[in-house]
Amino acid sequence: MLLTGNEIHQEVKRNAITISDFDARNLEPNSYGFRLGEDLIVYDETEVDGMGARRTTSVKIPEDGYMLDPDRFYLGHTYETMGSTHYASEIYARLSTSALGMFIQTSAPLGHTGAIIKWTLEIVVAQPVIAYPKMLIGKICFWENSGAVQGYSGRYAGCQTVVPSLLSAEAP
Amino acid sequence: MILTGQAISESVRSGDIVIDPFQPDHVNPNSYNFTLGPSFRVYKEDILNPKKKNQTEEIWMKDGSIVLEPRRLYLAHTRERIGSTKYAPTYAARSSVARLGMFINLSASLGDIGFVGQWTIQLFALHPIRLYEGMAIGQMMFWQPKGEIELYEGKYQGAYGPIASRIHRDAATPAVGPDPVLVAGE
Repeated sequence: MLLTGNEIHQEVKRNAITISDFDARNLEPNSYGFRLGEDLIVYDETEVDGMGARRTTSVKIPEDGYMLDPDRFYLGHTYETMGSTHYASEIYARLSTSALGMFIQTSAPLGHTGAIIKWTLEIVVAQPVIAYPKMLIGKICFWENSGAVQGYSGRYAGCQTVVPSLLSAEAP
Repeated sequence: MILTGQAISESVRSGDIVIDPFQPDHVNPNSYNFTLGPSFRVYKEDILNPKKKNQTEEIWMKDGSIVLEPRRLYLAHTRERIGSTKYAPTYAARSSVARLGMFINLSASLGDIGFVGQWTIQLFALHPIRLYEGMAIGQMMFWQPKGEIELYEGKYQGAYGPIASRIHRDAATPAVGPDPVLVAGE
């Protein structure tokens, strides 16, 4: 079952869900609204090697904003550290974000139980859009698990900022 | 848990789900097919700024159809008023629509319990696509929530027609100057 905003609040209070920092005003009927962190990275390669090492350029979004280019792919991150050892989570754009022409993930919404991190976001825009640090950009929802919980110990465990693809660790 | 088509139909009869108009032949095993309305909004500005009200223009289908330009954002709307005070809604493109090469939202498939209105959907085609009024374009799903329900009272409640982003009304991206007056559909 999907947790209501009130249930998310209760679970934050008893530490079954981590949202840091938490602001009750950002609770939604069945999700929590999160903000955009200030660090972006873009890939420098003209051909991105799925299993190769990454060359990236980092950008800090200034207070007066940074224009996102529709011909580029950006990785960003959530301002908040979020996750749960009890619940699985998913992240989505808010309608206000999507209606501005912005993807915040590209077909990868699922966050595993046990991953308590600043989530890396995959940002694509339909037309130029100005990004501001700490703008409300997405919402996270939490799902009850059925079955024994194993916990997440994957390669992105503990991420505290934007992290590029580490798929190269699976290279044969 | 996700509602079955039969549970969706029963909830429409009991009033726990609003789908208006409701067509029984649009019910799927786990969803309801919603249809495309005739009007759209597109942004007039080259650069969109979340801190201001971005200007849009309304465009309409001609003779019941429209050709979308590739990689341009079109805000469209469902013909149906849809929502629930009991279940959390999510929506997706019908697989047949995704196979045309089109997104119907930009990673924003999660709705809110208590929102009832015509849904603004975000069309983004990867090549020119002709769309028709009333075509079944997406599917709405309903999920059982856990916990005390507080109904949606947000800035899109009761939406009618395609609505431009109201992100400039967020406290985190305050508009410069006084909050602009909203007219219907903006």
